[in-house]
Amino acid sequence: MKAEAVYKPAATKPRLMKKLRGANENNLAGYLFISPWLLGFLLLTAWPIIQSFYLSFTEYSLLEAPIWTGTDNYVNIFTNDNEFRTSLKVTFMFVLFSVPLKLFFSLMVAILLNKNVKGMNLYRTAIYFPSLIGGSIAVSALWRNMFNRNGYFNHVLEWFGIEGMGWITNPHTSLGTLILLNTWQFGSTMVIFLAGLKQIPNELYESASVDGASKVRKFFHITLPMLSPVMFFNLVLGIIGSFQMFTSAFIITQGGPINSTYMYALFLYDKAFKHYQMGYASALAWILLVIVALMTAINFLVSRYWVFYETDGGKSK
Amino acid sequence: MKQTKSLTKGFTVLMLAAMVALTACGSGGSDKEESSTSSTSTDSGKSNSKAAAVKLKIMWQGSDIRHQAMLKTQEVYTSKNPSITFSPEYMAWDDYWKKLPTLAASHSMPDVLHMDGAYIQEYATRGTLEDLSDIDLTGVIDDKVLENLKIDGKLYGIPISRNAQGIAFNKEALTAAGIELPKKDWTWDDYFNFARNARAKLPADVYPISDSDTWDFYQYYQTANGKGPIIQEDGKKFNLDKELFMKYYGIYADFRKEKIVPPADMVSAFKENDPQADPMASGKVMTRGATVGSVGALEQLLPGKVDVVNIPVGPAGGGWAQPTIFLSVSTDSKHKEEAKAFIKWFVTEKEAGETYGLNFGIPIYDEIYTALEPTLQPKDKLGKALYDTALDKALPFYPAAAGWTEWVDNYKKTMDAVMFGQKSIEAAYNEISKAGNAIAEKQGGK
Repeated sequence: MKAEAVYKPAATKPRLMKKLRGANENNLAGYLFISPWLLGFLLLTAWPIIQSFYLSFTEYSLLEAPIWTGTDNYVNIFTNDNEFRTSLKVTFMFVLFSVPLKLFFSLMVAILLNKNVKGMNLYRTAIYFPSLIGGSIAVSALWRNMFNRNGYFNHVLEWFGIEGMGWITNPHTSLGTLILLNTWQFGSTMVIFLAGLKQIPNELYESASVDGASKVRKFFHITLPMLSPVMFFNLVLGIIGSFQMFTSAFIITQGGPINSTYMYALFLYDKAFKHYQMGYASALAWILLVIVALMTAINFLVSRYWVFYETDGGKSK
Repeated sequence: MKQTKSLTKGFTVLMLAAMVALTACGSGGSDKEESSTSSTSTDSGKSNSKAAAVKLKIMWQGSDIRHQAMLKTQEVYTSKNPSITFSPEYMAWDDYWKKLPTLAASHSMPDVLHMDGAYIQEYATRGTLEDLSDIDLTGVIDDKVLENLKIDGKLYGIPISRNAQGIAFNKEALTAAGIELPKKDWTWDDYFNFARNARAKLPADVYPISDSDTWDFYQYYQTANGKGPIIQEDGKKFNLDKELFMKYYGIYADFRKEKIVPPADMVSAFKENDPQADPMASGKVMTRGATVGSVGALEQLLPGKVDVVNIPVGPAGGGWAQPTIFLSVSTDSKHKEEAKAFIKWFVTEKEAGETYGLNFGIPIYDEIYTALEPTLQPKDKLGKALYDTALDKALPFYPAAAGWTEWVDNYKKTMDAVMFGQKSIEAAYNEISKAGNAIAEKQGGK
């Protein structure tokens, strides 16, 4: 007994060690394989995120060492920063209009492109093509030329005897032009819708036809419910993307005139890189993160009432 | 979806670029140190090739004609000093001052960089610029001039030119419309009357003057009237004269009603030196502000049509005429001596001056200017004329102090709201002075 008792752990130990080591070695290989990504993530994503959280509690001018100020930045943002409120309002307006518009347009175009017409692939390519350069500086510059006071759009209006105006430089219309630009860049959303449309089994439409359902009825009772997961996906991404809208506001309007297109991300950028207030800007970034996370959470909560997953057998949870 | 990515992608690219730049600097630096020791031992016979190959990073802002002139100047320097080559980067004013802070923060500012009177305090006080007092400029630049440019007893930039602020006007169009041309030392009242008179004689869609929404032009008015600059004592004192402010913007409010200034949405679209969007080059406005160093670019857009006059004066004088363009050396530079040698050559050698001409204003070294004088082109003569007209009435150049960039931005935004009729002048005054006093108080407490 005694001998056994002494012997037993000694026997299990190496076996356990071997097992553990084996497991570790396997993991090590795995980690090695993903190390390029992992390093990139740790150094270029995780570390800056941690840094920015720390900096959000400091006053940091980029050129001098950060000074710890506690929650001063957050208190200032919420109590006496008019630009924070303005930019938040502008951003919410932008999200409120551009997301539904973009979803609507991309869905309509996707339905058109889902028809069986000769040369459809050509149409699809042609319509998706602008999205390849979408969101870029070049498109923003183009937009600026289109809606400038002496831009192409006003030239077209002139043919009809209408006197145009500076669409971008008028505070009442400037945000509208940016929303229009964002809506026009529907390509990637549209492709996802198109893929979703292709997934809907034809039998559903056939049986509905047999039952005498009209086209409108088919759309609202087959297409939309079947497409709702895709719609949800596009909605969530659209909202997150719109909250972070930067390029076109930066290039086309610089936030002006009089802050009418002062997007949150642009405000954050100005604070950081124009006014050397990295700490304050970091606090703004964290507030944006919380807002976006909240919006996404709300989306997920609401989704159970309208998103239909086939795998659930159509039962609501 | 794209935008989510583009933002994160932007940051990633930025970080990557920073890393690449940092590693490149590091390895580049050590390489050169090694080779320089070896080359001194082997090539000691030749005096010129004493130094090993050095690539100086250099950055400046301006219009295209200045870029071309600057690139050529570097070529000349390399032909004289084959061991020194350049890695140039150049852009327009706005982009330049957007880019520099990030470079400063990541300690990757170029070896030689263009500084401006409006920003040098900010960069000098933050320790990003090298003291250049030891560059010997006896007989080239007057000691008094240099002494005036020192910040806390140190010289953080070598002035390369004499600059001045004035107003450019479209001589040809004004004459054609039968309007009396502005004359040297016109007063602010003359300026406003010129605008009123010209309105009647110009076509409806052409405007005599543009609107005013930036702080510098109002400051010209305030200082001309003897009330001193807005930002004083290195940013610790704020001085915005309410009476003058209300009067100045009151006049512009009337001008907006009488269509003496262009509509607000047109003013917002103006972009100087852009052939289509420049207020004067587009033919929309008859006058605009210009400096010695930048009026040449306007002349190229409107050849033969531009003339200049000084900023309207008041009892105290008006405008400014002094060096505002500098070449500085970064404290992070690994080639400080080479950078200094280049700057010295740039301001003292005729050959350099002949190459860059009047693209930075009037060369600071009189001998260079004298040598250039017989060969001046119309665009250069215009710069000289502007300097001459501004000189005798000139007041000092009053820049924004370090830490005031945001206030400067907000001044324009607030006055834009007034321009678009969304805010009263009084409300604007209250906002601007509240923000200004807050910054002054904060900086005074430090």
